[in-house]
Order: sequence, then C-alpha cells, then structure tokens
Amino acid sequence: MSDDSEVQAERRTSLNEDWLATIVGLVLLLLVLFGVIPGWLIP
Amino acid sequence: MADPVTETTTRETSSTTAWTIGGVAVVIAIGALVRLLDQGVPAWTKGTGFGGIAAVIEYPVYAIVLGLIGNVVLTQLGVRDRLAGGFRTEFFIKTGLVLLGGSINFAVIVSAAGPAIVQAFLLITIVFGFTWWLGGRLGLDDKLRALLASAVSICGVSAAIAAAGAVQAKKEQLAYTASMVVIFALPSIFLLPLAVDALGLSQAVGGAWVGGNIDTTAAVSAAGAIVGEQALQIATIVKTTQNALLGVVAVALTAYFALKVENQENATKGRGRELWERFPKFVLGFLAASIIATIFTSVVGAAAAKPLITNVNDLRTIFLILAFVSIGLEFRVAPLKEAGWRPVGVFASATVVNLAVGLGLAVLLFSGFGT
Repeated sequence: MSDDSEVQAERRTSLNEDWLATIVGLVLLLLVLFGVIPGWLIP
Repeated sequence: MADPVTETTTRETSSTTAWTIGGVAVVIAIGALVRLLDQGVPAWTKGTGFGGIAAVIEYPVYAIVLGLIGNVVLTQLGVRDRLAGGFRTEFFIKTGLVLLGGSINFAVIVSAAGPAIVQAFLLITIVFGFTWWLGGRLGLDDKLRALLASAVSICGVSAAIAAAGAVQAKKEQLAYTASMVVIFALPSIFLLPLAVDALGLSQAVGGAWVGGNIDTTAAVSAAGAIVGEQALQIATIVKTTQNALLGVVAVALTAYFALKVENQENATKGRGRELWERFPKFVLGFLAASIIATIFTSVVGAAAAKPLITNVNDLRTIFLILAFVSIGLEFRVAPLKEAGWRPVGVFASATVVNLAVGLGLAVLLFSGFGT
C-alpha cells in the first residue's frame, strides 16, 4: 500500500470510529437511564 | 477451486482481525486490573505508611503505568505491534466523553461555551501560527509543519490524522507527529495537575488550562480527572470546543495546500461537504448526551436521576480507563529517533508557548466561572 492510501485509510478509520463512539456512548447512556443496564452490572 | 490469492488475502484478514481482538482483550484485562487496584488499594493499605499516598492516587495513574508496563512486556514478547490494532485510544476516549456529557447539566455547557470558544479560537490561532512560523525558520517540510502545528494547537493525534489527510502527508510524518503528541502528553498528565495545585488555581481555571494545553483529548481527561470532577468537566468542554474547530482548520489546510503548494484549480469546490466530513461527530454525541440527561433529570426529578447518573459515571470511568491503558500500550519512542532534533525542538517550543498563553487565557476567561 502506498503512503497516501495508508494515510487515507487511517483517516477513514478515524471517521468511522468517531461515529461508532458517538452511537455506542448514546446507546449506553439511554440503556443506563432507562434501567436496562442496572448498577450492579457495571464493574 | 478457490483462487489462491483470494485465499491468502482472506487468511491474512482473519489473522489481523484475531490479533486486533487479542489487542482489545489485553486492554480490557489491564483495565480490569486498574479498576481492581483503584477500588482496592486504598482499603488494603489503610493504616499503613503507603495508605496516605494510595488514597490520593487516581485511576489514570494506575491505567497509564500499567499500560506502559504492558507495553514493555508485549514488546519483549515480540507481539506488541501485531496487537496494536486493538489499542483503540480514540474510540474509548470518545465513547467515555459522550458518557461524560451525560453528567454535565446542559446549562453548564451553555455558560462555559462563550469563554471556551474565545479561548479555543485564540489558542489555536496563536499556537498554530507560532508552530508554523518556527517550523519554517528551522526549514521543516511544509506538510510536517502543518501536522505539527495542527497536533500541538488543536487536539493531538486526531488533529494530526485530519491534517495528514488534508495535506497528503507521508505515513512516517503522521507516525512521528503522533508519537511526539504522546511523549509530550504523558508527563503533562502528571505535571499539570501538580502545577494547578502549586499555583493555587481554581477547579474551573485549572480545568480550562489543562483542556487548552494538553494536546490529546485522552490525556486532557486523565489530567482533568486528577485535578477534580469540576476541572474534568471544564477541561472537557474546552477540549471539545477545540475538537469542534478541527474541521475548520482541516478545510483551510486542504484549500491552502491545494491552491498554494500544489497549484490546483477548483480547490475550493465541495468545501461545505468536507467541513461536515471532518467535523468530529462525537462532539454532537457529547452535546446530545448532556441534553438527554438534563431533560431526563427534570422529568424524573433530581433524587430519582442521581443514582442512574452515578451509574453513567461509573461506565464513563471504565471507558476512560480503557483509553488511558491504550495510551500506555501505544507509546513508542522509535519514530522520534528517526525524526531528528528539529521537529522535537519545534514541538517543545510550541508546547511552552501553549502553556504560557493557555494559562493567561484560562485565568482571564474562567476566573469568575461558577461563582
């Protein structure tokens, strides 16, 4: 893989991770607030 | 019959995936140990000579130290580089910060937004300008100057990645800018909270200084958590504001390099779309989490919401621990040795300017905050 495509691949991963973190964070927040994840389950 | 090339590629991909999962497992295992130490050591050492020290050691310290020890062990075993795909600092920290948004009342974000935007705008302009100028004086390559200036003035590794995409930098330039960010961030995590204490700064000013200064978002959270809960909140708001400006800088860099350096025509086409692409989406998650939790609290009442928000905070701490462990595991010195002293000198000088200007702005803009 060329330098350029490796940097672009890194950029794509970073952008995808950004969305993933946003979705995971918000879903976890809602699950905890609505009692689906109880306190005792969080180590 | 299966194509041997396809078969080899498939085997390579599944092997990479297995190593990445292994890397995540290492991060989680060390994270579990950190959580155990954080909760257990103060109780185990109570009444002993170490008890007093153990009581004030915060979880970022255990996480980073154990991450660094893990780094040495895995390097000795020769597997660190293969597992590195699982050391997802950026994912863990961003998820942790979205959850942190859930514990900040939206009114706090609104009242801190004004000073945070002013601080971020001035700091980015001054520090980016200084780094770009000094890099030019020392004869650094334009692309490397852009990477260093973005990393030191905006938000560390993620800014370096965005800038590398914008100016089409080489992979090595990105690798050693990222290493430099971590090398400078690691001591800052411990030294800045000590300096906040020594200078007698308030939680808000200390948080704003930490948030405006330390380059990488994960390290900002680590230092903020050491200073205190309010400092962590203000540091995060300040850092998140800088993150939000990343898109603007990346687009400006793309346009500058396309127009001036590469002499391309139509360089300003499609900028609006790019601005959105480069905008860090977790900032929206952070704001949304704060709005959701603020509405939730006003609907169910503060007393009913409090234990649930405590659970959100515990979950946030777990993600921050995983991010801090990853920082320790990712740390590498090798790319710096290849870079020579000039980029290191530029980065160090820019960090000093950032420290001084950041302190001045934090005192100026956050002194009366929350009083």
